[in-house]
Amino acid sequence: MILTWYSVTGLIILAAFGFILLIYAFSRKQKEWILNSSKWNNFRFSFITFALIFLSFDMEMIFMYPWAVVFADIGMKAFLDMLVFIAILSSGIAYSWGMGGLNWE
Amino acid sequence: MGIILSLAAVILLFSAGTLITILIEPMLSTTDEEGPASNSPKNNIYPVHPDSWLYNAAPAVALASMAAASVVIPIDKSLAGADIGIGLFYFIVIIDYMVLAVALGGWGSNVPESIESCYRIIAQLVAYVVPLGLAVIGPIMMAKSMSTQNIISSQSSLWYIVSQPLGFALYIITGLMQVYRAPFLEPFSNILNNGIISTYGGWRGKLWRISLSGILFIVAAMGAVLFLGGWSGPLLPGFVWMAIKTFAVLILMKWIGQRMKLLSTARMLELSWKILIPAGLLNVLIVGGLILMGVGGK
Repeated sequence: MILTWYSVTGLIILAAFGFILLIYAFSRKQKEWILNSSKWNNFRFSFITFALIFLSFDMEMIFMYPWAVVFADIGMKAFLDMLVFIAILSSGIAYSWGMGGLNWE
Repeated sequence: MGIILSLAAVILLFSAGTLITILIEPMLSTTDEEGPASNSPKNNIYPVHPDSWLYNAAPAVALASMAAASVVIPIDKSLAGADIGIGLFYFIVIIDYMVLAVALGGWGSNVPESIESCYRIIAQLVAYVVPLGLAVIGPIMMAKSMSTQNIISSQSSLWYIVSQPLGFALYIITGLMQVYRAPFLEPFSNILNNGIISTYGGWRGKLWRISLSGILFIVAAMGAVLFLGGWSGPLLPGFVWMAIKTFAVLILMKWIGQRMKLLSTARMLELSWKILIPAGLLNVLIVGGLILMGVGGK
């Protein structure tokens, strides 16, 4: 069963890559150049704190998916557990907000 | 044999949907800023100092992620590419490869506007992923499953748009961020010379157009599955209902987006972390309370 599911996924990805190769074969002739010098060193990104907070929150969010699947069967106990979890997450947001982490530098 | 048939059906139907999206999108736009839907250069242009591997891999990654994500969207009662058990989770993970693709293209082409676009795309990912994830937890809780077919069949009595209006609103807003349409089109805006689109010409540019319209279609289709009951409906066959609901969500998204003021990336991040994520956490609690009171859950 699982093999069938993921073979479909694999096949469709292969089809997409095949389509791309076909298109690249058609567009090999290069006509115009964009004139530019190398610019990779000229930028800095200004959302460092956002990125760090995001990293932790995205990981926490993963835990909610298995919980959500079994929630309706367990009931009140699961709800209270999640209440504690969400309280901790919200205090994390409140803390970083209060410390000025949610500002674009 | 069954695999090949469902594969062909998925490719055919989603290509058709993407083409229709490409055709109708200009009719729904009222502003000059077309963002990801703007036209790429006609000539076959190429940057002088690219990272060739990254630059050429970008459209491939974009199209492959579109194709792989479309597999789990059910088109009819018995017609879906693959009804994977963790379907919804698979979907929200694999569709984020689009961000990787745009970032690769922006970085690889080594043109100032594109590199700036690459950074802003990643900032936009930081803004939308968490609220989007929280919005789709609601349907999972009520359906007790992550399989997209189970989510549709659990909506036979009541669509989730009725029981979870907050979740639907969150999905529409984060969906707009995910597809880079107005008001969240900063990485593709005119100030950045349309971002990566201006560095890909000819057929490669057309490929970006396909991927960037395809993601709009697919996100709208998933919205229809999650909140509007997917293919279920009276009289008409399932795939017709699916098409009607998908384009209804698509038109709603475009309509709402056109009526809001364009937001910069900094404002997007603030909107996400100060409003959308607290609202998403609240939504999880509200849905949990509803299930405990006997609404929705089986």
